[in-house]
Amino acid sequence: MRWALLTAASLPFLGCVAYPAAERNPAAVQQVDKCWKMSRRGQTAEATSCFIALTTSKDAYLRAEGQWGVKNYTGANDQFKEAVKQHAQDPHVKVRWGRLFLERFNKEEASNLFEEALGLDKDDPEAMLGQAWVASEGFDKMAVELAGKALKQQEKYPEAHELLAKLALEDSNPKKAREEADLAIAQDAESLDAMAIHLTIDLLEDQPESAWGKKILAINPRYGRAWSMAAESFIHNRRYEEGIALYKKAIELDPGYLEAYSELGVNLMRLAREDEARQALEHAYQNGYRNAATVNSLTLIDSYKNFITYKHDRYTLRLHKKEAELLRPYMEEQMEKILASYDQKYGFRLKEHVQVEVYPDHADFAVRAIGIPGLGALGVTFGSIVAMDSPSGRPPGSFHWASTLWHEMSHVYTLTATKHRTPRWFTEGMAVYEETEASPDWGDRVDPLVLGAIKGKKLLPVAELERGFVRPSYNGQVIVSYFQAGRICNYIAEKWGPAKLVQMMKEFAGPVPTDAVIKKVLGLDAAEFDKQFLAWIDGHFKPLADGLDDWRKKLVTVSKAAKDKDWLVVLAEGPSLRKQYPDFVESGSVYELLAQAYEAKGDKKLAKAELKLYSDAGGRTPETLKKLAALQSEAGEKKEAAITLDRINLISPVLDEETHTRLATLWLEQGNYPGAVREYRAVVASKPADPAQARYNLAKSLDAAGRLDEAADEVLAALEAAPGFRPAQKLLLELTAKQEAAPTRKK
Amino acid sequence: MKLTLLLWLALPLPAATFYVTVSGLGGEPEYETRFAGLATEAHKLVTGTPDAKAFLHSGILATKAKIRESFTQIATDAGPDDNLVVLLIGHGTFDGTDYKINLPGPDLSGVELAALLDRVKAKKQLVVNTTSASGASVASLQRPNRVVIAATKSGTERNATVFARFWVEALRDAGADADKNETVMALEAFRYADQKTVQYYERGKRIATEHAVLEDTGQGEAVRNPAPDNGHGLVASRTPLLRLGAAQKSAADPAKQQLLSKRDDVEQRIDQLKYNKAAMPAAEYRKQLQVLLVELAKVQKEIDQ
Repeated sequence: MRWALLTAASLPFLGCVAYPAAERNPAAVQQVDKCWKMSRRGQTAEATSCFIALTTSKDAYLRAEGQWGVKNYTGANDQFKEAVKQHAQDPHVKVRWGRLFLERFNKEEASNLFEEALGLDKDDPEAMLGQAWVASEGFDKMAVELAGKALKQQEKYPEAHELLAKLALEDSNPKKAREEADLAIAQDAESLDAMAIHLTIDLLEDQPESAWGKKILAINPRYGRAWSMAAESFIHNRRYEEGIALYKKAIELDPGYLEAYSELGVNLMRLAREDEARQALEHAYQNGYRNAATVNSLTLIDSYKNFITYKHDRYTLRLHKKEAELLRPYMEEQMEKILASYDQKYGFRLKEHVQVEVYPDHADFAVRAIGIPGLGALGVTFGSIVAMDSPSGRPPGSFHWASTLWHEMSHVYTLTATKHRTPRWFTEGMAVYEETEASPDWGDRVDPLVLGAIKGKKLLPVAELERGFVRPSYNGQVIVSYFQAGRICNYIAEKWGPAKLVQMMKEFAGPVPTDAVIKKVLGLDAAEFDKQFLAWIDGHFKPLADGLDDWRKKLVTVSKAAKDKDWLVVLAEGPSLRKQYPDFVESGSVYELLAQAYEAKGDKKLAKAELKLYSDAGGRTPETLKKLAALQSEAGEKKEAAITLDRINLISPVLDEETHTRLATLWLEQGNYPGAVREYRAVVASKPADPAQARYNLAKSLDAAGRLDEAADEVLAALEAAPGFRPAQKLLLELTAKQEAAPTRKK
Repeated sequence: MKLTLLLWLALPLPAATFYVTVSGLGGEPEYETRFAGLATEAHKLVTGTPDAKAFLHSGILATKAKIRESFTQIATDAGPDDNLVVLLIGHGTFDGTDYKINLPGPDLSGVELAALLDRVKAKKQLVVNTTSASGASVASLQRPNRVVIAATKSGTERNATVFARFWVEALRDAGADADKNETVMALEAFRYADQKTVQYYERGKRIATEHAVLEDTGQGEAVRNPAPDNGHGLVASRTPLLRLGAAQKSAADPAKQQLLSKRDDVEQRIDQLKYNKAAMPAAEYRKQLQVLLVELAKVQKEIDQ
């Protein structure tokens, strides 16, 4: 809200430079410009005197700039309120007010003010650039466009070039970034942020002795912002440790640069260095830097008391205490499989200790990942730290947590193998590829959005695939890019063999750009690769993509028929429809409709077969899988029923004591005692309505597994809750007799 | 269900339990079917227990007049040692002053229901109001020795509830008898149904639109989590809802009186031990618990022979 109190008066200047339009009072313009220039040069005392002089001006706008310059943001906000009345037709005042909001973490209000400025002058370059900054914060492709528009209106505009340089760097285009930075420097020899771009590129290219650092410090010996900008790029490139070191350098140069403290804290948290993170974040917070990321991160650190840590030789699990005991065995089992599989596949053993954090509250996970809520991802990896949604954090069936864990752990290996130099498309592609390698029914299926992109020829050349992740140009392009990257890895593995993927991984450590890696490892140009890959994609998906509209229409017809219980139509149309698009396993899939129809016709065998196809195709709605398991049990296929129910554990094992009980019973019958123990433990950990029965069942399975002491403990726990529980009493007497017969055991 | 050692009392054997089950108007076919189905199932489940006298009012027959008739009969038949269990299923409304359950014809208000209940001499009374807005009925229904359970914490929770479904499940599922004494007490059923209701919303990532409460002190606010620290749950822990087995058969056998007395003694020692648990080393507690539980199991085995 625009009129909200901004913040305390003691905050440092965060680096914002005014370039007032020429038609304004030249003396005032010069005075404001002079003050900010001194500030930029690190002449703090002189700049402060200059700004204080402005605070006594008769012009509210000048007073606002003065208050802003002395970091009295509340005062500046108050003066801007006056200033827009005094200069009602001057877009510059609105733009400057907007820039104050942008600096003080309120981009919505900033954007509103820039819009109002454009309402006064649709061609105002400052307002356009303001909007470009707002867009850049959200990695919106409009940022480039808006900055370009601003430059068309005002040819000499170094800040616009600085922004374009930053955006080019984010798009992994260092050449373009340097060109824009040079243009900014040509227009303003003291363009520190342009120099910071050069510094950043040098550092990213492993040139620590960059001359640009010296040039920057020659102008402003305290310009920590340059190293903070570099740090941001390193983080963006998943080079977290180096990014953290750069934030520290920024703070060393400018101890009052609170944004660097906040970012340092957020990134230390990403690497699970919480004590250091808390220190940095609290410093920022206590000195008035209270943006959402700082506040949320501190709140999240406080919440860690509600998590339980399980340490192993090679990894640590951090699980929320409300579900820790339940999730632990499943996650440990997957972690052991992952480490064994990837060690062997990638040919090296991780030296780093991995930490996996699982958040039942998606908002906490989002804060953990980016400092603020609103993240769409399921998991995120920072070096050797993995954070992900708990299966309880989303509706059952909406994601496959084991698949996500394999995905994120693939990042850990790829980042390690490439020394964090991998392009994003490759690490994401490998991670997506590994999901279905782990099990064909895992991983996301080909969805209509992707098919639409294939039909519309929207897949990107491999050398440009990075921008599909970083700066999407249409809705859903990130999802399409995940698909494309994954399929590129599939294609390479299929045509050249999986070893080529490992070889590419090593090459990317160079660092070497994508086209060069493709050429060296696969022996063909990127353009030729694209041609062959697209032909392969067309071979797999073109008929489906072309027939998607027709499929949709038919699905509507069959769905309506199912709703009306017109089973003849469902049975007539369903099989061909399912065959046309077998990957469609979302809610209301043809598989489910056909199974309903078969059941309605009394043919449980066909219903079971249909649901089995659904499960094999990657269907993951727990209720549908339970239905399949019930039909399998009923048909005497107990082993298959257990496999089906066990699959649910990798999708949604929480708040479902019924499924755990059913699976435990099946496994007990089949003599799979360790499995039965695990499942009955899951029932106990689910905090069941009948804890005595749950403990008793667990004791029975432990007894069957020959684990007498543990069985005795559990039966005692059952009887502690319900002393009169007859079956447990009987088991206690039996166990006591067995224990007495084996005197070495604990009594 | 026993809250502490001091609350332990052998369960009195009631002469009879009077059950009144009401399902009100559904408004839509889906709700009509659901409410009637739940009421019928609940009625069937309680009818099968010993000494049950059950009344069902469902669908178009669930009128205020018919319900009054049943209460008139119960007021005549029930004595002080009997139990009364009333279950309301359906839609409820609250206009800021009065709570009402929607019935064919005139609705029944909370105050009117309280007046009907007050005429019944049975000391132990349990009212389970599972309707929407049922929290608003607690104030008019509460009275010493009467357990009042509502599916919603207030009259402002107006969405259709799922609590009734899990309450009926508690009647059906032996798991609701958490202490396995073959009697589902009101508190056990409340905890069972409440837990299932909470899980229903959690599992589906739905926003919970109902929060069940219990009031058994006859005064003050109903609570979400009855426990000794908030003074709720004592009466509910001693109010039987449903007897599952034939626990009372042994009590009727004079030859087993000595064994029963011994069992009571061991049970009291177990309660005493549990009471002291926090002050004991874990290993010592476990050792003593095992000895007592083995002793109890042996006594029970003799009783059952």
